Amino acid sequence: MNTAPAITDPDGFYEAWLDAHRGLGDAASADLDARLVLLLANQVSEQAVLLECIAAALAARRAG
Amino acid sequence: MITETWKFAPAYELPSWPFAAPPELGSATRHRHPVVIAGGGLAGLTLACDLAQRGVAVVLLDDDDTVGVRGASSRGICYAQKSLELFDRLGVYERIRAKGITWSVGRTFSGADEVYNFNLDDDSLSEQPPFINLQQFYLEWFLVERILALDAHAIRWKSSVDRIENGEGGVVVHVDTPAGGYTLEADWFVDATGANSRIRNAMGLEVNASRGTDRWCITDVKFKKPFAVERWTWIDAPFNEGRAVWQHLMADDVWRLDYQMSEDADPEAISRPEVAGARLRAQLGADVEFEFVWIGPYQYRDHLLERFRVGRTLFIGDAAHVVSPFGARGGNNGIQDAGNLGWKLALVLQGRAGVALLDSYHAERHPAAVENLKVTSRTTRFLAPPSAAERRIRQAVVDLARTHPFARKLANTGRMAQANAYPPSPWAPHGAQSLQNVAFDGTTVMRLLADGTRFLGLWTGAANASWAALQSLASTWPIAFRAVAADSELAAHLGAGAGTLVLVRPDAYVAARIENASPASVETALRAALSLEGDS
Repeated sequence: MNTAPAITDPDGFYEAWLDAHRGLGDAASADLDARLVLLLANQVSEQAVLLECIAAALAARRAG
Repeated sequence: MITETWKFAPAYELPSWPFAAPPELGSATRHRHPVVIAGGGLAGLTLACDLAQRGVAVVLLDDDDTVGVRGASSRGICYAQKSLELFDRLGVYERIRAKGITWSVGRTFSGADEVYNFNLDDDSLSEQPPFINLQQFYLEWFLVERILALDAHAIRWKSSVDRIENGEGGVVVHVDTPAGGYTLEADWFVDATGANSRIRNAMGLEVNASRGTDRWCITDVKFKKPFAVERWTWIDAPFNEGRAVWQHLMADDVWRLDYQMSEDADPEAISRPEVAGARLRAQLGADVEFEFVWIGPYQYRDHLLERFRVGRTLFIGDAAHVVSPFGARGGNNGIQDAGNLGWKLALVLQGRAGVALLDSYHAERHPAAVENLKVTSRTTRFLAPPSAAERRIRQAVVDLARTHPFARKLANTGRMAQANAYPPSPWAPHGAQSLQNVAFDGTTVMRLLADGTRFLGLWTGAANASWAALQSLASTWPIAFRAVAADSELAAHLGAGAGTLVLVRPDAYVAARIENASPASVETALRAALSLEGDS
């Protein structure tokens, strides 16, 4: 799993992501992110890396 | 509970300058001036200083008789490298450095954890630091004194512009003063009267204004505590009910603490000393003695004028563009407007450039303003997510950023002002890129540019016949030449391989990199850069 900065335009990506959520309700928003995770996972492709990403996402969850 | 009494520091002692009746007052003769500027804020004063230094007889009209706005409210505090380099050329940098606070490190926190940091010194080659913090009125004060040293009559105090007639052959300016009104004429008129410009509004020009709903309260406070001299920001400070906070040092041991408030907060209530004092106690603890300097609630807004040049009138600073304060892109870009326009006006007035050169002011500074608006809007969106989805995404970024470096790049509490690159244009076919004030061979880029209004031809080739031929251009064009070692730090910064002539404009932007340069190819680039295409 690569967690060094690799996104070429972080602020531009962030803005495009937010723009995609504009006007969506909570459920539609969560659905959008789920579809996005699937598409990005297919780019990653490696099972070991995907499992590491899932574990890292769980570990970063705030206590409480 | 013990009731605390709140102390206020003595007010800043600001200078004032007397109104002097100008020759036009009570005279039937209408005087014509090459440049008249309305508005003595950062942009107007920088332009007046730049023009005075270039030998242009400038008149600056200011409706007040002092510096600062509404007393000592501080306004801008962070001055970026490109601004400091310009002030070095104008002769006020040493005063700014001596009075201000030099810094380069910024840190961003979420709760008690650092999310990311940056050190702007890492990329700096300049003689000036990445940033100096200073209360805006000090900077204005230094500029006024410098202008008056160059030309004792350049500034007319207590003189407000009532209206203008923006004619094809010149601009008629109607001025109100305590001793009555008068009229003067200008070859070129510059509106630097700020966000609410009455001059601009009277011309019916659209600025596409919008106002943020996010509410903040600045609290400038004097105290002595060994805080790091760094820019600290909190995305969600535990001592501010989980909202954002800014902490930054200025001159005179005054800290700027800027607190994000709830959107529905009552501005009067949040700026009461006991309310502001309670916020400070939550941040500083019980034992730090402090004095208030200024408490000011605000909401930010933005606007962008569509055209920065309208005939013989040019708009600079907040009169042309306003952005939210994050990243110090307001005042610094007003200063850069002035830096872009000054040399162009001077060369047009000298007859050494075509009038169309003034269109390049809009062609370069308008895209810069568009870029600054985009960058600051992204920051405001990060700091005040307008929907549940945006709040959730921001939380994901913050949670990942604690452990994973990639996510730190997404956290955004302001992208600090940089010198904007200019897009390809008739004046610079490959665009124009800012050059830092690099020291070389016992001088610096800015020192070489301080002498008159000239381009600089930097040559990375050998001392051969081509070099001798190139230097002969200095007798007919506004340009000076200097050789630069091909393996030097400056040559690398110029992006020039050996045998290249780099054409540097008077505002320290690279207009062209010419390989295998000949006098003819350099003249072609100069003609383009000076709007002299039609001339022979």
